[in-house]
Amino acid sequence: MEVTQKFRHVLMARHEIAREWKSRNQPVVGWTSTYTPEEVVYAAGALSVMVFAGLGDTKVADAYMPSNSCSFARACFNAALKGEYEYLDAFVESNACDNRGKTYDMWVNYSKIPNIYFINTPHTNTEKAHQFFYQEVVKFKEWLENTLKKRISNDSLKNAIRIYNENRILLKKIHDLKMKKPPVISGVEFLEIALSSLVMSKEEHSKLLSGFLEEVENRRDLPKEGVRLLVTGSVMDNTELVRLIESVGGNVVADDWCTGSRYFWNTVDFNGDPLKAIAKRYLDKVPSSFMYQHEQRFRHVAELAKQFGVEGAIMFVIKYCDTHMFDAPLLRDELKAMGLPVLYLEWEHSMSGFAGLKTRIEAFIEMVGGVK
Amino acid sequence: MVIAERRLRATSGFYKNYVKKFYEDAHRAKVEKRPVAWVSSTFPVETLQAMEIVPVWPENYASVCAARQVSVELCERAEREGFSRDLCSYSRCVLGSMFGYEKELPEGGLPKPDFLVTTTCACDTHLKWFQVASRLYKVPLFLLDVPYNTGGGDSDHLDKAHIEYYMSQLEELFAFLEKQTDKKLEMGRLRETLAVSDWTSKLWMEIQDYRKTIPCPMDARDAFSAVFFMLCMPGSQLAVDYYTQLRDEVRQRVKDGIGVIDNERFRLIWDNLPLWFSLRVFEYLNSLGAIVVAEVFSHTWAGSLDQAKPLESLARKYLPNMANSSVQRRVDIIVNLVKDFHVNGVVLPTNWGCRMMSLSETIVRDALYKKLGVQSLIIDVDSSDWRVAGEEQVKERLATFLETLRKA
Repeated sequence: MEVTQKFRHVLMARHEIAREWKSRNQPVVGWTSTYTPEEVVYAAGALSVMVFAGLGDTKVADAYMPSNSCSFARACFNAALKGEYEYLDAFVESNACDNRGKTYDMWVNYSKIPNIYFINTPHTNTEKAHQFFYQEVVKFKEWLENTLKKRISNDSLKNAIRIYNENRILLKKIHDLKMKKPPVISGVEFLEIALSSLVMSKEEHSKLLSGFLEEVENRRDLPKEGVRLLVTGSVMDNTELVRLIESVGGNVVADDWCTGSRYFWNTVDFNGDPLKAIAKRYLDKVPSSFMYQHEQRFRHVAELAKQFGVEGAIMFVIKYCDTHMFDAPLLRDELKAMGLPVLYLEWEHSMSGFAGLKTRIEAFIEMVGGVK
Repeated sequence: MVIAERRLRATSGFYKNYVKKFYEDAHRAKVEKRPVAWVSSTFPVETLQAMEIVPVWPENYASVCAARQVSVELCERAEREGFSRDLCSYSRCVLGSMFGYEKELPEGGLPKPDFLVTTTCACDTHLKWFQVASRLYKVPLFLLDVPYNTGGGDSDHLDKAHIEYYMSQLEELFAFLEKQTDKKLEMGRLRETLAVSDWTSKLWMEIQDYRKTIPCPMDARDAFSAVFFMLCMPGSQLAVDYYTQLRDEVRQRVKDGIGVIDNERFRLIWDNLPLWFSLRVFEYLNSLGAIVVAEVFSHTWAGSLDQAKPLESLARKYLPNMANSSVQRRVDIIVNLVKDFHVNGVVLPTNWGCRMMSLSETIVRDALYKKLGVQSLIIDVDSSDWRVAGEEQVKERLATFLETLRKA
């Protein structure tokens, strides 16, 4: 389908897109946590991009980061050391998990990014946490203003909220297309759509999404119907694993990734002080596993499983991601209690051990499909 | 070897006299229906002590299980329930003990908590592990959410907003504790507990100071036992009494010029945790003419507490903990130790399931070499899971490191 290829192209050309943006004298700000209040970055006239990395070994970073550190964090740092992010005007890190918090030191000490900022992210959403995080967002805004030499007005923040909300609503609409049987788009296509929103201008991305929604109504080449699966985990910045699932008879119809449904599920509830509204959205959204209210995520997953009529779930836990490793047995038991078969997999971002994953995924899909 | 005779009188029988008794008391509290709370390190435990809540330390229990050589079996028990082998071994060990163990657990296991209190100050693992315990035991969990000390400053150089957020949560903690125990917190009692804890810290640091002496009067093995009071019950008179006795003995040794070993060829710093399953490693170092004169761990838990500002001083004591700070804080601490303790080598053990301690060691190593020309050894181990690295492997690495230092 013509229009899905545009998203794939964006992913492949993400560095060029950022460099092109920069060649117009517009700054680029990178981050790795989806708790980064991107609306503020947008309001500063900067391109906000999630830093992610190609697959493969992380030899350069391995000299600095131990083998028992998050393989995603290591891969991103590896990309930075190799100069893939030389265009970043600023990089934003946070304590949204221990691996991130400690990797901040690595970026500060060894990368060449000129400006690095740390946003303190509460691990809970109590009233006090909201007050604290609001102050953090205010400080972040002031830092961006000073660093990028650009004043951020209330109007530009309100506009950013509108642009971001629109993008989230469109993404959710497209995610919902997978509710149909067979799904109107494949899991790989959807992931390409979701990931591309992380690396390009939100306005342009929303235009692509609207175009896609028009075109998809008349789609003839629907994905092959397969075993309907839900996938869960922390971050998924590449399509390899979903492609693998769909190549052996699965349909990935719902996801619980920070780069998937958790990224766009909640909008900014806009009234009053825009910065307050932005800060609130991030602490109250479907939480990542480092948050106190982890059961809210379990409920989100259970709800997805019901709404999207899934027949099984695959949990992808990236190696050395503590918070997900702790949640996994609890979430597994909840899904099993709903009568769903569950496959738990740990994966290295480098994709070493890919063959082993393939065997287990194939066997699982065959098992679930056989039950049908 | 003379080593055995050189151990301090105050630390001989430490486990039996204090640690074992600590668990007996906790079990008795449970029977007598006194409130028992599980607590994690870097939590302001003084608040619990001031309300006569019995604090129980799962982390300490894991180290007990390691010393008793059952930690790996317990870890495996948790792994069978689906908890990854890459998780913190302390947490796996304790979760394993909760899931049912066919043999008798050391000290009869941990008493079941009436509630749990934890903090993000040391790591996310504390929160996640206690969430599991909270679900399993169906008891409430209080989280003290601590901002990350990004600036890496010490207790006098903290972000004002961080202190305010911390203090505002202490108010919430008091309300939680009052609800759980149906008892009011008396400010006077809190102030008294802080005064005791403050004295405990001062005594402990005085003891550490004596270890600057050549020959060093106290080894890591003794320190890793005796640090127990600093962590688990700093606000108790027992801690003050014990450290006074220990201080007197160490001071006397310094006066008499008695060290743990006679010819100190290598004075070392030991970062992070020891191998709880094999504290003999320190005696092995002694046999090679090396002595650990400072553990970073021993220099991590002290903090002065001001009775006039109870909440603020608790924030200032705990917030700048090394685990909760950017690496500069760790570098500063270790650089000062190297200078003050006449050190010529640093051991930086990782801890397999611990990102907080494993992740910045290259920066520490590079900074020490650049600033002071001192060499470090990064060694992949785990404090309680000897499947990562066994005693013999570790000894071999240490011996090679000493050889490098000798040639340098």
